[in-house]
Amino acid sequence: MTMELNSQLTSILDSLRYLIPEGILVLLMFGVLTLGLFTNIKSFLIYKTLVGVSYCLTGITLLVNWPDYPQELFNGMLRLDDFSSYFKLLFLAGGLVTVLISRPHRHSSEYFVLQLAIVLGSCLLAMSLNFVMVVLSLELISLSSYLLAGFSEDSKSAEGSLKYFLFGTVATAIMIYGLSLVYGLTGTLDFSSNQFADTLIATHPALFIIAAVMVMVGLLFKVSAVPLHLWTPDVYESAPTPVVAFFSVVPKLAGFAVLIRLVLAFHLFGQSGYYWPELIGLIALFSIVIGNVSALTQTNPKRMLAYSSIAQSGFMLLGVTSLTLEGIQYTLFYASVFLIMNFLVFSVLNDYEDQGVNEIPAFSGLGRSSWFPAVALLVGMVALTGLPPTAGFTGKLLIFSSLWNTYQESGSSLLLVLFVAGLINTVVSLFFYLKIPYFLFLKEAPAGVPQKSSVAGNLFHLLLVLLLIYLFLQPAVLMGWINRITFVL
Amino acid sequence: MHGLSYLIFLPLAAALIAVLLPARLASSFRILSLSVSLIQCVLLIVITGEYEFENGFQLVEQAPWFTLSLGNWGLVQAEYFVAVDGLSFPLVALSVFILLIATVSSWTIEKNQKGYFILLLILNGAIIGSFCALDFLLFYVFFEFMLLPMYFLIGIWGGPKREYASIKFFLYTLLGSIFILVVLVGLYLSVTTPDSSGQMHTFNVLHMQNPENLISQSVLSIDSTTQLGSWTFRQWAFVLLTLGFLIKLPAVPLHTWLPDAHVEAPTPISVILAALLLKFGGYGLLRFAYPIFPDSATHFSWFIAFVGWVSILYGALNALASKDLKRLIAYSSVSHMGFVLLGIASATLEGITGAVYQMVSHGIISAMLFLLAGVLYDRTQNRMIENYSGLASKMKVYTAFILVGFFASLGLPGFAGFMGEVLVFLGAFKSSGVNGFIPTWMAVTATLGLLLGAGYYLWTIQRMFYGPYAVKGYVGELQDINQREYLMLLPLAVAALLFGILPQLLLNYLNPFAADFIQYLSPSQIPVP
Repeated sequence: MTMELNSQLTSILDSLRYLIPEGILVLLMFGVLTLGLFTNIKSFLIYKTLVGVSYCLTGITLLVNWPDYPQELFNGMLRLDDFSSYFKLLFLAGGLVTVLISRPHRHSSEYFVLQLAIVLGSCLLAMSLNFVMVVLSLELISLSSYLLAGFSEDSKSAEGSLKYFLFGTVATAIMIYGLSLVYGLTGTLDFSSNQFADTLIATHPALFIIAAVMVMVGLLFKVSAVPLHLWTPDVYESAPTPVVAFFSVVPKLAGFAVLIRLVLAFHLFGQSGYYWPELIGLIALFSIVIGNVSALTQTNPKRMLAYSSIAQSGFMLLGVTSLTLEGIQYTLFYASVFLIMNFLVFSVLNDYEDQGVNEIPAFSGLGRSSWFPAVALLVGMVALTGLPPTAGFTGKLLIFSSLWNTYQESGSSLLLVLFVAGLINTVVSLFFYLKIPYFLFLKEAPAGVPQKSSVAGNLFHLLLVLLLIYLFLQPAVLMGWINRITFVL
Repeated sequence: MHGLSYLIFLPLAAALIAVLLPARLASSFRILSLSVSLIQCVLLIVITGEYEFENGFQLVEQAPWFTLSLGNWGLVQAEYFVAVDGLSFPLVALSVFILLIATVSSWTIEKNQKGYFILLLILNGAIIGSFCALDFLLFYVFFEFMLLPMYFLIGIWGGPKREYASIKFFLYTLLGSIFILVVLVGLYLSVTTPDSSGQMHTFNVLHMQNPENLISQSVLSIDSTTQLGSWTFRQWAFVLLTLGFLIKLPAVPLHTWLPDAHVEAPTPISVILAALLLKFGGYGLLRFAYPIFPDSATHFSWFIAFVGWVSILYGALNALASKDLKRLIAYSSVSHMGFVLLGIASATLEGITGAVYQMVSHGIISAMLFLLAGVLYDRTQNRMIENYSGLASKMKVYTAFILVGFFASLGLPGFAGFMGEVLVFLGAFKSSGVNGFIPTWMAVTATLGLLLGAGYYLWTIQRMFYGPYAVKGYVGELQDINQREYLMLLPLAVAALLFGILPQLLLNYLNPFAADFIQYLSPSQIPVP
């Protein structure tokens, strides 16, 4: 008994040194909280700098300690590998950009503590191999998100936050119920273990499919896939724009990270009683169609982007559908590009919002008086549509390529339907993605609207625009890196 | 020698410079744009000197663009691959010529000159790039790159219903390019370079044309037996590709965006749209759809000929019924593009030569007609035919040009339009005897298109230019055309006449191409599983 405890302790101590980035985030979280509670530092700028610099530091630590081979930590609770490290890098990048575009708030320290908690939870979620760990990190993300969604501090924001909370807790409850069933069926919470796969392959319990779907509910809720997308428009509309940008990238990608692992686990190396790509494909299809069609009639830019974000989740799910290494790598590429284009769009919208532009008709003619932000927004929208010359096109091209190839190999007609429906939806999506540029450039401006755009903001947007074009011209730069990611369940 | 690259990237570089210049330098943007067009003309003359008639693809520039790993499926390489042959060279020359005239025609644009000329320059580079690209991905990128500038050029500088027209244009064309994208994805995943033992996938169009480069048993390969409905995947791919290009052509019933876009677009943009953008329909069929899927092309030739036949007659009938001068010219474009389709479907030397000849001559003549319509609209802000009569007495030079334009367009011998149409009909009649792609009744009844063409043009002349002078809703003296307009119209009139009298000027380019092209489609060459 003592020996066992001893070895467990050594394992925990050994594992700790692999979690330096998370360690920094935890320390920072408590540091910022303490500063906010016990000192008089109220300046938003100080917190902003502190958190921003720390994100950079964490990122560097992550890159320096990049795992050469997959490491199992804490007795199989977490796995640190290329896959999770890449996601962690995306979360940190997302966190950093959010800090950069954040606007002063009177609860500075709380604002950042919650954000840090979400990034921390996402990092842990991307590494989780154990259902308990999945639930814990997911709840860390969720609880912080509920609060952050209400940070506009008006009744609308409170409504959004409450809706998010209610839907979220139900989704989590269903997930936990599903987990209890899965645990009962397999006798293990470690979904990467042999016991998990062997038991299921040997017995093929029908209940397992229902239980697995219930488990996925919690994650599909996070990535706002249909039919668990209902919270998205309300939260996006009411939360502060930088927070929305953050929500649409970091927790969503974290959901994807673990969803990919879980679906592969449920797939049981192709020996599952149910053909999981079918379900994922259908969810992807509905997300794309419902997201795009609902976005058509929106007049609030953030609400429109909420539906766009649902459709984009669908596109990323398309990449997962093939359940091949290539498909997953393309999803990673698309996710990285999505991070850039989504932040570009939200950041420009945030600038416009500062000038009181909240509804789409209010954009009328603004592209004529100050063209740069308008063009940056246009590039972002074109990238989200998936047209050249932006990396959004490359991302979609790769995802469709993986669909085609999987179709060639499997002959499943569902994949063909997905392929065609996905492409046709590009045309539908163009209609609403071009709506804001349409008002910006084609409509006449009402008289006397002064327009200003900050130099720093413009430079930042220029950087993102150039990045999108550069990744289109040289996709191999990013793809070469992603290609080295090996993926072991 | 990087002649083609200079031709493509000069306007794009100029657009970048223009972005950095302050907007208050209003009129310097048109000077920048004009100098770009003039330099392009000089470059074109240099290139023409280097071009040899019999040599297939020339002025080749080929460099790797990017290589991506596809995991288990090998690698894919995209190339920067541009070259011209007897098909694309005349079209590139036409583009440079028309873009120069469109730039001169844009002189009257007053609203936001910076934005206008930047978009025009981007459009310029994208058009020439699309005609030169031999890498499918590169072509697609240039092709899509035309959409946004065109959308804004119609949407911002267009007429009263410009918003509707521009989004309609965009959605139609994007739908077409999505069809093309489907095939693009399928093709590059099925085609590998010859010396890579099936590992290096490619977008290279020349490799795609060789059935030996298709991976055996891939869904697009010749030996694949997989069917979807009653068609094989190769047939589906051909149909999608053709649909994509037919929207661009445009062929009935996919043409409805064209009249709206033309009527609402400002004159220079109408000119570019009619003279150059429509050519991508025919060009795409001749460059991509037919050579890559010759087996499916011959399978569907009756259908393609039929669409062409319908377009000829339906377009002509609509032109006859049009009350708006610009709409009339737009529908006559639909009718004339139908001839292109008929020529392509015939798959004979005459038909193919005639189709490309018709594309070039329509490029010249429709540009002239839209400029002429613009001249009148500039003066009276009115395009309705019924509002005019007796213009011949007030605008003598204008009437002369209208007569040249109309007669050239209706296919009077001695003008460029005649050569193209005659060759198409020769091909169509020959086809019914040689390969049976076009039934005789279609070839015979298509000649009605010529008759209707003469009908609507002569009737328009009679209504607008003869009789007592009157312009409804316009007071003041109508000015005859000015020097700038003269400068634009004269070269077009001369070109229309020149290619009518000396067809050899163009046939020297087209014949070697057409001779090569029909090789692909001859029954002995068509790959069979």
